[in-house]
Amino acid sequence: MTTQTQQIQAPAAPVKRRPSAGLSGHRFAGPLFASPALLGLAIFLVAPFVLALVLSFYRVQLNSPRPARFVGFEQYTRLFTDPDLAAAFGHALLNNFTFAVIVVPVQTVLALALAVLVNRKLRGMVVFRTFIFMPLVFPLALTAVIWRLIYSRGDQGLLNAILGFFSGGGLTSHDWLGDPTTALGSIIVMSIWQSVSFQMIIVLAALQSVPTELYEAASLDRANKWAQFLNVTVPGIRNTLIFVALITTIFSFRLFDQVYLLSRSGSVDRGSTETVMTQIINTGFDNNNVGQAAAMTVIFMLIITVIAIIQRAVARQRGGV
Amino acid sequence: MMMTIPKPRSGARILTAAATATIAAMALTGCGGPGSVGSGSTVEAGSGEGTINVWAVDGQAAENDALKKIISNFESAQSKIKVNLKLFPSDQYTKAVNSAAPGDLPDVLDFDGPTLASFVYNGKMAPLKGSVSDATLSNQTDSITAQNTVDDAVYGVGMMNAGLALWGNKRLLDTAGVAYPTTPEKAWTADEFTGALDKLTAVVPGGKPLDLSEQYGFAGEWGTCCSAGPVIWSGGGTVLKDNRASGALDSDANVKSLTKFASWKKYTDPNADGLAFTSGRVALSWVGHWTYPTYKALGNDLVSIPLPNFGKGTKTASGTFAWGMGAGSKNGAAAGKFLDFLMTDESVRTYTDANGAPPATKTALAASALYGPGKQLQLLGDQLSKACGPEDQISDTCVSVTRPVTAGYPVVTDQVGKAEAAIYAGKDAKEALSAAARAIDQNFADNDGYKK
Amino acid sequence: MAMSKTVKPGRRGGSMKRTRRWQTALHYLILTVVSLFFFLPVYYLIVGSFRPSAEVLSGISGFVPTNLSLDNYTGVFEHLGSEATGYFGQFAAVSILVTTAVVAGSLVVNSMAAYSFARMQWRGKKIIFLLVIVLTIIPFEAVALPLYFMFSGQRDTIFIQAIPFIANAFSIFLFYTFFLDVPGEIEEAARLDGAGPFRTFFQVVVPITKPAFATVAILTFLAQWGSYLWPVLMVSDPTVRPLPLAISIFQNQQPPEWGQVLAFGTMFIVPVLAVFLVFQRWFVASISSSAVKG
Repeated sequence: MTTQTQQIQAPAAPVKRRPSAGLSGHRFAGPLFASPALLGLAIFLVAPFVLALVLSFYRVQLNSPRPARFVGFEQYTRLFTDPDLAAAFGHALLNNFTFAVIVVPVQTVLALALAVLVNRKLRGMVVFRTFIFMPLVFPLALTAVIWRLIYSRGDQGLLNAILGFFSGGGLTSHDWLGDPTTALGSIIVMSIWQSVSFQMIIVLAALQSVPTELYEAASLDRANKWAQFLNVTVPGIRNTLIFVALITTIFSFRLFDQVYLLSRSGSVDRGSTETVMTQIINTGFDNNNVGQAAAMTVIFMLIITVIAIIQRAVARQRGGV
Repeated sequence: MMMTIPKPRSGARILTAAATATIAAMALTGCGGPGSVGSGSTVEAGSGEGTINVWAVDGQAAENDALKKIISNFESAQSKIKVNLKLFPSDQYTKAVNSAAPGDLPDVLDFDGPTLASFVYNGKMAPLKGSVSDATLSNQTDSITAQNTVDDAVYGVGMMNAGLALWGNKRLLDTAGVAYPTTPEKAWTADEFTGALDKLTAVVPGGKPLDLSEQYGFAGEWGTCCSAGPVIWSGGGTVLKDNRASGALDSDANVKSLTKFASWKKYTDPNADGLAFTSGRVALSWVGHWTYPTYKALGNDLVSIPLPNFGKGTKTASGTFAWGMGAGSKNGAAAGKFLDFLMTDESVRTYTDANGAPPATKTALAASALYGPGKQLQLLGDQLSKACGPEDQISDTCVSVTRPVTAGYPVVTDQVGKAEAAIYAGKDAKEALSAAARAIDQNFADNDGYKK
Repeated sequence: MAMSKTVKPGRRGGSMKRTRRWQTALHYLILTVVSLFFFLPVYYLIVGSFRPSAEVLSGISGFVPTNLSLDNYTGVFEHLGSEATGYFGQFAAVSILVTTAVVAGSLVVNSMAAYSFARMQWRGKKIIFLLVIVLTIIPFEAVALPLYFMFSGQRDTIFIQAIPFIANAFSIFLFYTFFLDVPGEIEEAARLDGAGPFRTFFQVVVPITKPAFATVAILTFLAQWGSYLWPVLMVSDPTVRPLPLAISIFQNQQPPEWGQVLAFGTMFIVPVLAVFLVFQRWFVASISSSAVKG
């Protein structure tokens, strides 16, 4: 895989900034090439977002034969001043942030650790790698079903059974999803199981592109493995790590399927796992309050736009991305 | 409203214009026009022949088979009407009905009792008078007619009713030396029930003698109908009072009852495999009639016990899935004939044999092999005959309560279920219930109390 | 990596060897534990699909392959065995059709847009590209509700299940990073041969950027195959129901048919897993080739 990476990368530097002037003869080719995708994005992403903006000023139900009613900024004022709504929305935001704050560093570090682990020519490594990659192809709807069984709260639940087995019955069964203190953590572990190998592959590729001369130099300097890792490996793949952290952040704010599916099963307390996305869908569809859901969407979009901008600025300052 | 869209030059302007145009169109079609409301349905009698579309929930395998058998009986009993059945996963059914345009609704559809008012409110259903025969309508049991009536018009007919009980394993109860009540009047008080659980803990293998049907999820309809509902009503509380939840749902009585309920979590098997009772892991199972076909494997060890009494007598929910007509049916006469056929004694028997439900027609109930004096499910039948009606008419002696009939039921059930799950997870009951009550009231206010 | 092994101080060879053997053993141990974490749920899914529902949730013994049979599979096909419920094959066909349409459409449409941004000059390009980059952070779930509002008239069609996912800002971004690196000389040569922009793109650029197409195809496939929220909103008719919506049917049985849930899940995932195993090298290569550019 290293060879392939380098094939494309090698010629990159000299031509990067040179526009292909040759194509400017076809004046409309550029917009024409871009137009199908732009049209798609306009209709299926921009238009609904604008519609959300419009809807957030109305009181409106789904499928209702009754007309929508204009309410100005009421949905927004409520979201910030109504103690219940503000608390619920704040809590969902907090869950999103907690998730991001834990998952981004943990998953990035784990991805790095796993990449280092499998980046060694050992007999049977292909098999180990295959095992680690497998969850990547699991759709979240299926992942949630399997992990619901794993987390099942009785002695019969797989996790409880395994813990009980290894502790010789010392650990009693725990309600992983039902106990507010472990609910979010359980969902985090499941999410990491499903997606960490994606990040791992990215880091692995970066590891393999660090020039071996650097390691040679380091070992001539009698640097031990750990020092090599800190002084050669990590700086060599810094940009990739930043990239991984960036996409993990975006994914962690999109958190929806697994929470939606798990928090509606068994004795799970929805409040302790609700994310902004599940709350939006719940408000819009279950409580049929489209205007409120639209207002949440708008505020949420503002928040992630700000985060993305800050993150990009920080990354750029450090010379990344 | 559009001003927050960034205004870049040239190309982007086209995007903005396209978006604006789309929005304008949406605003007109999607959330605009007043249209016909409620009972103004447009059913045409039609020729009484041809194919009718029928929607139903994809239920237990046995129920599906029974339904298919009834349909094939119908098709062979006459030759003019064919039935095109479609089944939907239960978690997607209400959404399917709610999001169908009037023209896409089927001629005949299955619905859960408490969702009827909201379907009617949103113009999905047609009144049955004139399409379904008077004989069929008058043969419905009173509580089912009450469930299917909105604003004095009947919108549905039911084959079955529903009932809840604590199913008991007599062998385990006897081993633990626990005496159990068999009539609603003698139901255990909550404290007696806790005492029984303490004794039973010693005799079951896992030390958790109770099944509260956690696997259905308290946050769903199971919570409101069959778990939090009966607990609240039995403790002397209600979910709504005069169309408001504040002052009702968050009452001290409800806080007390639901806190008590949550205290039983430590005795409770999560029953994720649904086998806790039949495999002998638990001695008591709080669940509905629909488990009877599997629970009867216990033979003579199966006993039915009323749910615990939280102060105002044992209570259970009544009402369940029933059948109605889509508001846009072009073949009302044929749909009516099919509904008439569904309500014949033979159809009702076929269906209720498959799921153990109490029949909802007077004649089938009288002929039932399970419900009635001296029969195995006598208790469930007794409970249904002691009907309370809706929440505001609950007395100490009545047992079956009809869930709130309001077009706002979807938000009620969502909030009550969420609150119950939170309390069960150990959160403060007063807080959870107050928050739920405020959310319900806010939603009702936003919708003008769901008045017409 | 291989190079570092050759640096071997001769004198202390013996003890080094022992340390190394020790290290390798430790390495294998860690690998095994880690692999177990990732593999056990997969193993559990597959073994459970051949066991009676009653034994799926039975603690440690849930992992033991006893009482194996195909009953769960026949059960799934029996339940999904009529017009009314829809057929398993039908759901699979819908999923395959929608996923194929999205992957194919997305490869064409997004690569063209990315090429236009990366290699062509036109007025307003910069600002529009910036907008596209901003769009990469809008999650689909955020617009699902208004989108549902806009297209509720198109419910229950294959078309509406696929069309919103074809244009994708993130895919455009991925293609863009690849196209930036295409040597200008190649395009120049094509132009001198008299090729217009279409021919240049499809006959010259596309063949040399295959890894980009593989990456986007794989990522789009994985996202689309398990698509859940949008079908929940837009599909009720069994004839156009995709696989992910049908799982809940088996969970709602009395008692829950966990065995059938797992059998359904296995049939849902195994074809994908098989393809993945066969193409693993290629799969890893393409994801990583895109990533280093990030």
